[in-house]
Amino acid sequence: MTDEPIIRLEHLTKIFGNNHKVTAVDDVSFEVRKGEIFGLLGPNGAGKSTLIRILTTLLTPTSGIAYVDRYEVTRDPESVRTIIGVCPQNSTLDLELTAYDNLEFYGQLLNVEENLLEKRIWELLKMTDLTDRANSRVSTFSGGMRRKLEIVRAFLHRPLILFLDEPTIGLDPDSRFEVWQQITKLNTEKTTIILTTHYMDEAERLCNRIAFMDKGRLIALDTPENHKRALPAGDLIDIGFDHIDGRVLPAIKETGLVTSIEEKGNSFRISARNGNSVLPAIIGIFEKYSVPMTSISIHSPSIEDVFIYLTGRKLDSGEGEQPQDAGRGKAS
Amino acid sequence: MIRGAVAIFRRDMKKFISTPYVIIFTLFIPIFYLIIFGNAMGGTITNIHIGVVQAEPYTTETPLFTSTVEALRNFRSAPDKPTIFVVTVYPSEALAKQALADGQISGAAIFPSTLPGDNTIRVYEDSSDYMVPTLMEGGITAAVAQTGTQNPVEINKLYGKIEYFQFFGVGVIVMAIFMTTMMGGAFALIRDRESGIIEGYLVTPVKRSSIILGIIGSGTVRAFLAGFIIFIVDLLITGIVLRTIDQFLLVLLVLAISCIGVTALVVSVASRFNTQQEYASTVAFFNLILFMTSGAFYPTIGMPDWLRWITVINPEYYTVHALRSILLRGQGMNVIGYDLMALSIFSAAAIILGIATYKRTIE
Repeated sequence: MTDEPIIRLEHLTKIFGNNHKVTAVDDVSFEVRKGEIFGLLGPNGAGKSTLIRILTTLLTPTSGIAYVDRYEVTRDPESVRTIIGVCPQNSTLDLELTAYDNLEFYGQLLNVEENLLEKRIWELLKMTDLTDRANSRVSTFSGGMRRKLEIVRAFLHRPLILFLDEPTIGLDPDSRFEVWQQITKLNTEKTTIILTTHYMDEAERLCNRIAFMDKGRLIALDTPENHKRALPAGDLIDIGFDHIDGRVLPAIKETGLVTSIEEKGNSFRISARNGNSVLPAIIGIFEKYSVPMTSISIHSPSIEDVFIYLTGRKLDSGEGEQPQDAGRGKAS
Repeated sequence: MIRGAVAIFRRDMKKFISTPYVIIFTLFIPIFYLIIFGNAMGGTITNIHIGVVQAEPYTTETPLFTSTVEALRNFRSAPDKPTIFVVTVYPSEALAKQALADGQISGAAIFPSTLPGDNTIRVYEDSSDYMVPTLMEGGITAAVAQTGTQNPVEINKLYGKIEYFQFFGVGVIVMAIFMTTMMGGAFALIRDRESGIIEGYLVTPVKRSSIILGIIGSGTVRAFLAGFIIFIVDLLITGIVLRTIDQFLLVLLVLAISCIGVTALVVSVASRFNTQQEYASTVAFFNLILFMTSGAFYPTIGMPDWLRWITVINPEYYTVHALRSILLRGQGMNVIGYDLMALSIFSAAAIILGIATYKRTIE
């Protein structure tokens, strides 16, 4: 991963509707770096899919500019289409065709060289463990199989950038895990991946950087670690004991490493900005005064905690949601 | 039970009201039916072109010739109706017959010379048309009777006796082509859009011209197969006889170009629509207007002028004309060349229109 940007958005805005105006994307600017897995995280209706549709040339922005590689999406959509792979949120597989036929159809649309195509299709089918189902109709596939097939379909032509819109929505935990593995595998082929999701664990697990979106706006963008570090509370460390020496608490405070410390029955609850590095020092103090500890736990804030901190509400609460279909293919 | 029924009723009504386009079309189609069907079928046939010839040897035209031609020119079904025939005088029987064979006139009347023993008026008519031969026979007999002479009229049916069954059979081929096209390629285009599958391939580098050409291609093949099957059925059950292999090949050529034209038209209409409902009501309208004005049912010369203008841009009209020329009259390239040219121009225009109007975004 380098710092070189591969996607650049400048004040991108998309407004739907004539009478009843809905601002789906509201003055969003950011950059995506070459080779990273970039997550767009936000509740339903936050504008993630609309943003993806603009970047993949399916929608034209109301205002603002977006560059994908060196092409501007409204001026050079054809070039953009040659370097991207897209896995839309709603399945676009042709259910009446077999897995192989679906991939072959797209291979031809994507201009994969005819003599390489067959080999490539089998390679991708193998990657998704669908080799023995190659000649079954996709309508007989489970949700997880369809999803995996759709993701590799977007990867047939080894695109520079892969867009995954809610890749694991509606999947069971096993299938989600498989899809995650798939995504990580594809990323190792030097492809930049942009994924949208409203699952925090997914974003945290996969993404190098996460952009939070809410009500069409970009509210924060950083690595998962930095997001958490930005929380004023930091990590929570709980240390249990049977009896305590009165000198321990002031000694911990004196280190200046912790933000707060309080005694709760037979335990201390300590908040510290960098829990992992602070913990050894605290343990040292306990040992110095020969106080045996009965338990230690360290709890890092989750990405969800970050979202709650930034917006004041839970990610999946659905509060103030915009209609989810704001960006769907309904025509004017 | 009632509550459930009311719920279903209300849901359907909400959906119905929210699609004004479909409402308008469902209301207008019966009205269009009335106007077009009524005018296409109920109009009086006028403008029948007749050629007249004074047989040689002659120095001046015989009184019989002059007065019959005059009577023909002024022939009308009722005193306040327009005249029925357009009369052209040809200098020789050969020229008149040539014009008849080329489809420029519907009949030729050859008037006898003054030589003794020759007093029969010979009429050659294009018997492949519907209604027109009967009107012409009646008109000529009446015009001769008006002159007060007793000359017999001899009718020669150029293409033998042709039943309405055979006349209409050709129209059914065109109908088969249109119906298949309606349900064929264009429908797939709308379905992809409606189901969202389209979102998958619109983000690939595939060009919109490729999408349109591919869909027109698959639609054309299906339409051609349908047209071909009905053509074979026509041959088997209506008693139309193909005389040469050339004619057979010519029919296939006409079918192929027609299929491209009609499919391209329907696809270019479909390329703008998002839902099957909107598309279906629009195409039903096109089906009506194109089929009614194609002449498949009823001779186009029976239609009022404004309706006849539609036939000029109606590909089905050229198809029907070309197929009748080959199948019923045994004519060749010299007659149908014009039809093929019109169909080709039409097809090209429809393809360009389809590509130009195809929406490459999902908005």
